[in-house]
Amino acid sequence: MTIQSSARPVDTLLYIELQRFLFREAKFLDRRDYQSWLALLTDDVTYRVRIRSFRDSGAAETDYAVVDDGPVELRKRVAQISNARLSRAENPPSLTRRLITNVEAFHQADEADILVESSLLAFRTRSGIPEGGFYIGKRHDVLRRTGDGFQLACRDVRLDQTVLLEGALSILL
Amino acid sequence: MGFSRRVQDQCWVDEAAATVSRQVFVDDGVFQQEMDRIFFRTWGFLCHETEIENAGNFVIRRLGSAQVVVTRDDQGTVHAVLNSCRHRGAQICRSDSGNARHFVCPYHGWTYDRTGKLVTTTFDQHFPNGFKLSDLSLPKVPRLEHHKGLIFGCWDPDVASLADHLGEFAWYLDPFLARSPLGMEVLAPPHRWRTRCNWKVGALNFAGDSQHVLTTHAGPLTLDPVRAARAGFATAAENSFQVSTDQGHACTLTYLAPGLPAEAYQTHPPDLEPLYTGITPDQREMLKNLRVIVGTVFPNLSFIETQVGPSEKAIIMRQWSPISGTEMEVLSWVLAEREASPDYKKEVLRKGIHNFGAAGVFEQDDVELWASATAASNNPIALQYPYSFHTALPYLQKFEANGKWPGRVYRPADTEVAQFEFMRQWNRWMQAPA
Repeated sequence: MTIQSSARPVDTLLYIELQRFLFREAKFLDRRDYQSWLALLTDDVTYRVRIRSFRDSGAAETDYAVVDDGPVELRKRVAQISNARLSRAENPPSLTRRLITNVEAFHQADEADILVESSLLAFRTRSGIPEGGFYIGKRHDVLRRTGDGFQLACRDVRLDQTVLLEGALSILL
Repeated sequence: MGFSRRVQDQCWVDEAAATVSRQVFVDDGVFQQEMDRIFFRTWGFLCHETEIENAGNFVIRRLGSAQVVVTRDDQGTVHAVLNSCRHRGAQICRSDSGNARHFVCPYHGWTYDRTGKLVTTTFDQHFPNGFKLSDLSLPKVPRLEHHKGLIFGCWDPDVASLADHLGEFAWYLDPFLARSPLGMEVLAPPHRWRTRCNWKVGALNFAGDSQHVLTTHAGPLTLDPVRAARAGFATAAENSFQVSTDQGHACTLTYLAPGLPAEAYQTHPPDLEPLYTGITPDQREMLKNLRVIVGTVFPNLSFIETQVGPSEKAIIMRQWSPISGTEMEVLSWVLAEREASPDYKKEVLRKGIHNFGAAGVFEQDDVELWASATAASNNPIALQYPYSFHTALPYLQKFEANGKWPGRVYRPADTEVAQFEFMRQWNRWMQAPA
């Protein structure tokens, strides 16, 4: 999917609608209401999380995927972490809070698609690690208009980390 | 006094009882001794040749507790030098990877070439007359050797050759490193994550912890019924086995049992298999019907080859890099045959990281339990109760040797014998005179 971040910004009313989508979606994830969350996804959803490298200033920026899921893999991932019998990392579940800020939204060539950029701060504590830890990064989401609302067609989270400090990532960002 | 003294009196690896003291998995004193007696004395993995393919390419890696820059010079020769300026110690390279003609220390401008040789300081004219600047070149890793695309280094100049270190274990390793004419390729930079557990927990897991698979990984196995069926059959399959060798290397090979649908026995991609000309007929037989191999090259390089999709077989390489007694940094690479198509490589990488990457559906559950075990073991009460490897005991002396397969071969494949053998060899390294 080609993403055009320099395209026309959305108007205020639409902006509020998109932000409301993001807040509601974050609420579902924080509550671990995965059924409601899955209903927000398009059938061809893609979900990527990337981490970065330190490079000399001037050298090409590099990042690489630590998650590169299509719909099949993403649904399996959710089936695992949402089921107490099938997950060790998420049983007991992590306690999480996702803060979504710095939202910008742009129309795309395809009228149905809106690119929504936001900053993500996800805080997570889990059994055995009571002090918790952060995942911080930039999201590029493509939201697709479907009837009366939106669905998430593509999420790309670029973390501002080169080494994941909290073990293997078992929550959705 | 008290508790800690009692712990010190325990032996670390009790060969008669098949137990291992928890101290070796949490204690910083043991960690320091490991640095002195293992990590600065034997071969450590640095990088794959395809990570630094061209002149000037470099990556930063850890060898023992020292950070090194691994570079390729204009002649194609690989060098590994300490990442610390000879002047006042600053890192001469602060990028994770890249391409550089020179390494210029950001502190005072001392400049080193791609081989680590000091070329100029900014005040050459003030050095004593006749001073040879090249005497202040970066300390080189004195021994650097290649094996089938892997580059290893050792800080001990007198260490026996890498070939001696790998010994007969290379026979098991090579079909996953160099089976096709062009060999393997690293598909992306390594994932890196920190985990609050000792490095040996990962090394042991890959040496042969067959018993954790169905419990820890109930998730991905249940959600992929075909894989679950194969895993269940394979554990029971009598042709599966574990291997250990004198240098401390160990691996576990699980084979498909009879009775599966015919397509299950096509374990390697049909269009790549004809390219496997770099292996012997015996090695080819080893690959036949192989569901998964998982192994550890002593001390801290591991690998697994397994199915990640209907027709994709991924090779994952792991380094369990020690940070302290209770912390490691994991590096994880995905590899495929260089001859494979771009689409195949893309899918192997995508599915490889879905399963075994920093957010992998297998990895997340391992890591959680390793950290949990470490936290729960690091107290004076827990330290009095060594870890159990009892299911190794009945099998330790029952190995096949000098048969068709190199090393000591143990059956069945679901005991703890390979793990305990790793710990016995570790103990030998640790008890060796300083």
